[in-house]
Amino acid sequence: MRLDELKTRIKLFMNEFRRYKIGIVGLVLLVIFSGIAIFAPLIAPYEDYKHWNDQTYWEELPPAVPPAWVNYFSKKKAAVQYEVENPPVEYVENAHIVTVEYDFNYDIPPKDILVKIQTQPLAKPAKITIEVTRPDGLTILIYSSYDLYYGGQMFKIFLGGDMSSRNLLIEFAKQYDTEENIASIEGREVTIDVIKILFSKAEPGILVGTAPPLKGKYIFKIKIPSLVYEEVEYLKVVFKGAVYGLLGTATLKRTAVGRDLFVGIVWGTRLALLIGLSVAVISTVVGVLYGVVSAYLGGWVDEVMQRIQEIVASIPLLPILLLLSFLFKPTVWHLVTLMVIFYWTGPVKTVRSMALQIKEQPYVEAARALGASNWRIIVRYVMPQIIPYMFASIALGVPSAILTEAGVSFLLGAETATEPTWGMILSDAYLAGATISGYWWWILTPGILLTLTGLTFVFIGYALDRILSPTLKK
Amino acid sequence: MASYKISPQNAFKRNFLEVLWVATARYILFRAINAFIVLFIVMLISSILFNAQMEQQKYAEIRETVAAMMRNPELVSGLNRTEIKQLEQQLTNELIEQYGLNKPYWIRVFYRVKDIMLLDLGHTQNPGLSQTGSTKVSDIIMEALPRTIILFTTGQIIIILIGLFLGLKAAQKAGSLIDRIVGFASMISYSLPMWWLGMIMILIFSYKLHWFPSSSLSALARGDLSTPLGALKAYATAITLPLITLVIVGFGGWAYITRNIVLATLQEDFVMAARAKGIPERKVIYGHVLRASSPPIVTMSIISLLNSLSGAMISEAVFTWPGMGRLYYIALQQGDVPVLLGLTFVTTFLYVFSMVLVDLIYGLLDPRVRVGVSSST
Repeated sequence: MRLDELKTRIKLFMNEFRRYKIGIVGLVLLVIFSGIAIFAPLIAPYEDYKHWNDQTYWEELPPAVPPAWVNYFSKKKAAVQYEVENPPVEYVENAHIVTVEYDFNYDIPPKDILVKIQTQPLAKPAKITIEVTRPDGLTILIYSSYDLYYGGQMFKIFLGGDMSSRNLLIEFAKQYDTEENIASIEGREVTIDVIKILFSKAEPGILVGTAPPLKGKYIFKIKIPSLVYEEVEYLKVVFKGAVYGLLGTATLKRTAVGRDLFVGIVWGTRLALLIGLSVAVISTVVGVLYGVVSAYLGGWVDEVMQRIQEIVASIPLLPILLLLSFLFKPTVWHLVTLMVIFYWTGPVKTVRSMALQIKEQPYVEAARALGASNWRIIVRYVMPQIIPYMFASIALGVPSAILTEAGVSFLLGAETATEPTWGMILSDAYLAGATISGYWWWILTPGILLTLTGLTFVFIGYALDRILSPTLKK
Repeated sequence: MASYKISPQNAFKRNFLEVLWVATARYILFRAINAFIVLFIVMLISSILFNAQMEQQKYAEIRETVAAMMRNPELVSGLNRTEIKQLEQQLTNELIEQYGLNKPYWIRVFYRVKDIMLLDLGHTQNPGLSQTGSTKVSDIIMEALPRTIILFTTGQIIIILIGLFLGLKAAQKAGSLIDRIVGFASMISYSLPMWWLGMIMILIFSYKLHWFPSSSLSALARGDLSTPLGALKAYATAITLPLITLVIVGFGGWAYITRNIVLATLQEDFVMAARAKGIPERKVIYGHVLRASSPPIVTMSIISLLNSLSGAMISEAVFTWPGMGRLYYIALQQGDVPVLLGLTFVTTFLYVFSMVLVDLIYGLLDPRVRVGVSSST
């Protein structure tokens, strides 16, 4: 087939393709996914992705909260993430005082409050305290550090988890609650949500979380006593939202730290497409070549090759994949190689029968009579007729590969992986009990994307198959 | 064979049938040997890979056995320290000899494979896996296997019924809405991860609606298993959610395959002839067409069944249905090598055995066929 013949063929093909709406849908989806994959660094910062497993990197995010846009759909508004960085510091009466104002106009309070302080080395180690004035006029001490701060290093206070703040807030709540409630939490103090106490009305129920939210302006005063003025190099207060981001957050394993799912999902697109396409393309090309060569050479070579193919095709994929993955703790690329080793057997039989038929054609006989080498005949006469089928086969192989990788990742868990795939995200979700705790955002997104990616290639493959269906086959 | 007069026509028929039968039997034997080779290769590779770990376990077993033996007072009475040590060493060596651990590498591997092929699957360290507390891997797997079969077969039967019915209808009314629905359902089947759908089902029906328990195990544990009605209720509650998930993902594939094959068959001449003869449409479809298209439907469907097996196994982990899939999950998480090897063996065996079975069925239904199942993938 000559070049211009190829061009006309392609043009005819494009016209045909337009007829199949479903193929167009698939193509559009493919462009979208490819776009996300290619432009991932622009959409979600690479830094975030690189530190997926880094606990300190994600400490400012709330663990396992729904996406921010849920607020548009619910009557109860959840607190949004609010951060204050380097607010003005006053030096008054031998103490650095930082004032932070927080407008709480939500129904659901923040998940936690994180305060990060770094000053120059202090002349004398100091006890950091935090006081808050609530909208109802009450001013409470909510934190008084047990350890002294020497300065020079970063000092982090998690008000929701720190012993000092917890005790102070619980004592505060006990003043306003009933005897009953106080007795009921005896021994279970660790389960109390102290941040909720801070933002609740001072009435019965405050200790157990049934008191209504106290809305208004909260003024936080952070005090670092010191005889001499030292430079406050860095100060940040993070009010961890009860909702966050475009897709919500997932927790880091066994910690109370959240990660932005948006980052994981966007970067996972790359891996999904790469894995799916690599496996499908390589295995199909290998399989097609195998089939063509086997058919063309014929005789006992053909027999042997077919027996080998049958044996490999009879090996069940999943058990072996699991066994090998368990042993070697493979990277994504090992997985790709393993899958290729099993997937190449797919197209062989069909391609072989196609090649056998082509072999008997008069033009092949003529070419051979003219002295054409085997290789030339294969390349010029056999392959061009098989290539259309090959493309359809590749398209249909991608979803299978993506799903297999997701399944294996799901079972094995994302123990050491620094580059999460969607399957690993789902594995984390399952292990964190997302299904029984109702973290729907964690489960829905990766799964829907897996299905959509699969459907993309199924649609394209379906259209290709319809158009290019080899008449030689059936 | 029944005795009848041998006429020229009969003679041809008899010869033909005999030749056919012999050919089919030979073919089945060939496929069975193929299956055995596959099993052997798989277990060989697995055994080589896990050789080190298995041997460590065997050594640990030997140490335990010797320690137990040494506690026997009769054996050690009257011996001093050095003699006790010698006895220990001697017993250990005897056991090593017995287990063949001192032989060259390849012979050890071969013995292991032989053990597995003869169904001696060894022991696991973890006693929690079996309900009876047994540590024999074969016991553990034998407990889990029936449960997987119950779930899977029930699901498949429902899938077959729904799929066949929808596929036939879609083929009858090609191009109609139902045809498009079937086509779309099959695409979804192909792209939807079954285990993910399982998670969604748990989210909706368990977390939100509280209709079903989130864990099959807990449902079975909470149920009253002593009375038959109670047991039935417990099983029914436990199995519903996984079953629904299985069916939703599975029926699409079946329906589509049926539709395609029936569509092709409907174009055959005998259908037109049957209709021309005035046979009611129902009989044409269910009587003639279905029977004629059954061989390829059966094979294609068993292939898709085998393919969905992996998805079903992972779903078991999601639902904590106490079958093979969940066993796999636990074994992987805990690094339980003997169980893993045993599971690999059983799964491969079932897989390969089903393929031979399919070839047998296909050969019976359509004796003209010579190619195996693996050619249609």
